[in-house]
Amino acid sequence: MNKVMSNKWIIILYTFPALLLIAVLIVIPLILSGYFGLMDWDGIGAMEFIGLDNYIAALQDTKFWDSTLHSFLLALFSACSLIGYLAVALILASKIKGASLLRKIYLIPMLLSSVAIAQLWIKVYNPSNGMLNSILLGLGIDNPPAWLADPNIVLYAIFVPIIWQYAGFYILIYYAALKNIPESLIEAAKIDGATPLQIALKIKIPLIMNVFKVTIVLSIVGSLKYFDLIYVMTGGGPNGASEVMASYMYKLAFSSYNFGYGSAIGFLLLIITLIVTVIIRKLTVSKDEIQY
Amino acid sequence: MKMKKAVTFLTVLFASIFLLAACGGEDSGGNGTSSGNTKSIKFMHLWPEGSSAQHHKVVNEIITDFEAENDGITIDLEVLSNEQYKDKIKVLSTSNELPDVGMTWAAGYMEPYVNGNMFAAVDDIIESDLSDSFVPGTAEAFSIDDTAYGLPLELNISTIFYNKAIFDEYSLEEPQTIEELHEIVDTLNENGVNPIALGNRDAWTGSMWYMYLADRFAGEEDVLTQAINREVSFEDPALVQAAQEIQKLVESGSFVQGFNGLADEEAKSMFMGEQAAMYLIATWDLPNFTTNEDVPQEFRDSVGYFKFPTVDGSGDSNSYVGGPGVGLFVSENSDVKEEAKAFASYFVQQWGEKAVTEVGIIPATKVDADSLDLPQMYVDVLNDLNEATNITLYADVQMSASAAQVHLDMIQALFGGDVTPEGFAKTHEDTLSAEE
Amino acid sequence: MRRIGYTLLYVCLGLVAVFQIFPILWLFMFSLKSNQEIFAGNPFALPLEPRWENYLKVFDGGIGTYFWNSIWITALATVLTILVASMATFAITRMKWKLSSLVLGLIMVGLMIPIHSALIPLYNMFLNVNLIDNPLSIVITYVTYNLPITVMILLGFYTTIPREIEEAAIIDGSSIHRLFFRIILPISAPIMSTTVIINMIYNWNEFVFVNTFISSEKYKTLTVGIQNFIGQYMTDWGAIGATLVISVLPIIVAFLFFSNKIMEGITASAVKG
Repeated sequence: MNKVMSNKWIIILYTFPALLLIAVLIVIPLILSGYFGLMDWDGIGAMEFIGLDNYIAALQDTKFWDSTLHSFLLALFSACSLIGYLAVALILASKIKGASLLRKIYLIPMLLSSVAIAQLWIKVYNPSNGMLNSILLGLGIDNPPAWLADPNIVLYAIFVPIIWQYAGFYILIYYAALKNIPESLIEAAKIDGATPLQIALKIKIPLIMNVFKVTIVLSIVGSLKYFDLIYVMTGGGPNGASEVMASYMYKLAFSSYNFGYGSAIGFLLLIITLIVTVIIRKLTVSKDEIQY
Repeated sequence: MKMKKAVTFLTVLFASIFLLAACGGEDSGGNGTSSGNTKSIKFMHLWPEGSSAQHHKVVNEIITDFEAENDGITIDLEVLSNEQYKDKIKVLSTSNELPDVGMTWAAGYMEPYVNGNMFAAVDDIIESDLSDSFVPGTAEAFSIDDTAYGLPLELNISTIFYNKAIFDEYSLEEPQTIEELHEIVDTLNENGVNPIALGNRDAWTGSMWYMYLADRFAGEEDVLTQAINREVSFEDPALVQAAQEIQKLVESGSFVQGFNGLADEEAKSMFMGEQAAMYLIATWDLPNFTTNEDVPQEFRDSVGYFKFPTVDGSGDSNSYVGGPGVGLFVSENSDVKEEAKAFASYFVQQWGEKAVTEVGIIPATKVDADSLDLPQMYVDVLNDLNEATNITLYADVQMSASAAQVHLDMIQALFGGDVTPEGFAKTHEDTLSAEE
Repeated sequence: MRRIGYTLLYVCLGLVAVFQIFPILWLFMFSLKSNQEIFAGNPFALPLEPRWENYLKVFDGGIGTYFWNSIWITALATVLTILVASMATFAITRMKWKLSSLVLGLIMVGLMIPIHSALIPLYNMFLNVNLIDNPLSIVITYVTYNLPITVMILLGFYTTIPREIEEAAIIDGSSIHRLFFRIILPISAPIMSTTVIINMIYNWNEFVFVNTFISSEKYKTLTVGIQNFIGQYMTDWGAIGATLVISVLPIIVAFLFFSNKIMEGITASAVKG
């Protein structure tokens, strides 16, 4: 058994395609981006090696730290919202009537591209004609906020569509995980007189803990490098109030023609994400594997 | 054993990928190939058919004519939308793969390309084929150190467009001074009408307001341009006063609610949906107010425009914020540089008149308005252009790309009340002096 | 009491359902409006006079080629991603070797790279191997960039597969390949369907790589059809809405199909497990 399952050649064969692709298309660009970060380069003319100046400049750049803070806030909110998605998935995976239809409906928004979602939420947030403010005015609330214009609100306003956009993704994963639990375990618990809530907390959730831990990593990493809706809906504005690391990196590299500095920020983004991931793994991964 | 099968499968998979790659290589490399007798010029522009049907059509006509007149030359075309165009040009330039002919913006935008030897000098074309055909100042905007690197295609000035029906309803007149503008704003606000549509998420819109006020406060001198060129400090009183005036306008409720979160497009739609009385924009929007059949006739008939008001009797209403939009560049490293230059020159010559009559924009080349049948608003704008005493090029185009980013952020902060006028000027001064 | 609880639950679920289905309806109405109605009108309102010509414009824009390219690029990239990812996940989680966590770490690094950091190096590399303006560059990039997330999702499930299944198979004299292709892959069908859905959505909606690596019209995908309506100063949002509606339809169909697969697969695996 052990001999078969540790056959070197088979391991190489099975991991080679993945490793080759990742080494060539991800690791090399990554190293290059770290290398460009050592250059004073507008992306067009000659490069000039300036050592760690870009990285030092980044550490002293308040805009970089602000955008880092914003990215971390997004990661925090995204990770917290996972609990809500798990609850929804538990309901959808239970045997209530219409669960199958509800599941399909719930996942539909996830099919839309960011372009569509951005347009929808721009209309939601429009200060004078928007859906949200129309409703608020209808409820008798005068002077509803200008969601995307107010620097104190814009960041949280833009988190809502981002978190909503990924709801389907996580619900789908949890749903599949829950459906993977052998029916016999749940039946046995029912016979013992366990309530649905007890079954969820004591049996289902522990059994999908591995999947849950993976989604924590996915949501935090995804949040830290998030770009799409921010770029389309606010462009990081007003005056940087909704800037995140990836949008700041893009702005520097592509709009400000500061490619060297942008690359350095991109590389720092990766390093930060890496450190956070290692910490999360350390905190969540336990030695004892859950077995049926 | 399935081992064999799997290995074979993988081998075949990767072999076919590399094979396909090799085959794909044959027809790639569109950058100025000259094989045999035919030469192909790679041309990129940013007027997709879907959104800019007229532009697109005229470009295709010019290409067809050029190919007919020049045997053995084909134009290899790629069209992208504005943002994607900018991003792609950026990526292409890092690999020295710019198209033979493409589009560029003036001054600050093109500077890195010129410094990186990416754009060819086009003085020879301007002196021979195109001598005396550009409106003064436009070709200069595409020059660095007295050498031209771009051939301008568009020219725009910005004015305040207003809804005559709304103005009539409240017996308002076109304002001559900023005080009159304030009075109009007050009247409209008292009657629950949004005075001015502004989409400041894009920030260049707010920048136009600031630039105009700076121009008016400065009077004769173009202090803003001088400050950008480091001839005077950005903390010049006129530039601070303009910032103060912006905040006064904001405080008196001149602009629509939440303007800092609105795109220019949303603001424009508010104006065109008669939800706001005024809108400062450049003349590229003229078709919307004149010939565009998609816009209700009733609305088009009710649009007028006035020149930006003067301030305290200071300033010249014939001084404009505006400038050339895009221009053509020829790649310095093109294999078919001569042909590319010939095409660019041909394009500009053909573009001028067609741009006015078919596309409905104002070209950077001189046009004889009298001989053409044009909507009245075009005639008026062309006359204003002739009488213009000064056109200040958009600040974000004048500045280097990174300074422009600071400027745009600061504009949002200024309008949003997050920075004092003095702080606004100081940040600009610090940024600009750091670049010297 | 229990009854009230259920009613309350259904009311909540129903409300969320309305909220979730609204975007599609909204998008459809959006596609029939003019710019004016879209930006200045009431966003809840029905279009004044439905502008079906928005759809006509989209078809005039040559959407057919884009459509076909989107389909085959999405399908090919999805299949390859899942195959490569499943093999790697199998080796990492089920086989015993020292470097497995290192390999997993390397794959996870792939999750973290911001695409705009990679764009310029990638362009340069594809240029050097003559893959620029070749759809293969897109397929390879999609496979690689979706690989980490696919492995991560598969990971959680592969670790829950009972060891007994493998042991039984190996004792029966089955080879590893047989074990992987005939036993592991089929029982992971539900989670594969999940990753298919996710990969499909990502590949279908991607446009940064397409815009950068592809320049010929004949290789462009549907997301580029949207770019066609974005102008220098004017954007035709109604037509963009129409393109979005057209492009979301196939993905809805595919989604419903694979969504049912999740259920089917589970039933099958439940029997075996």
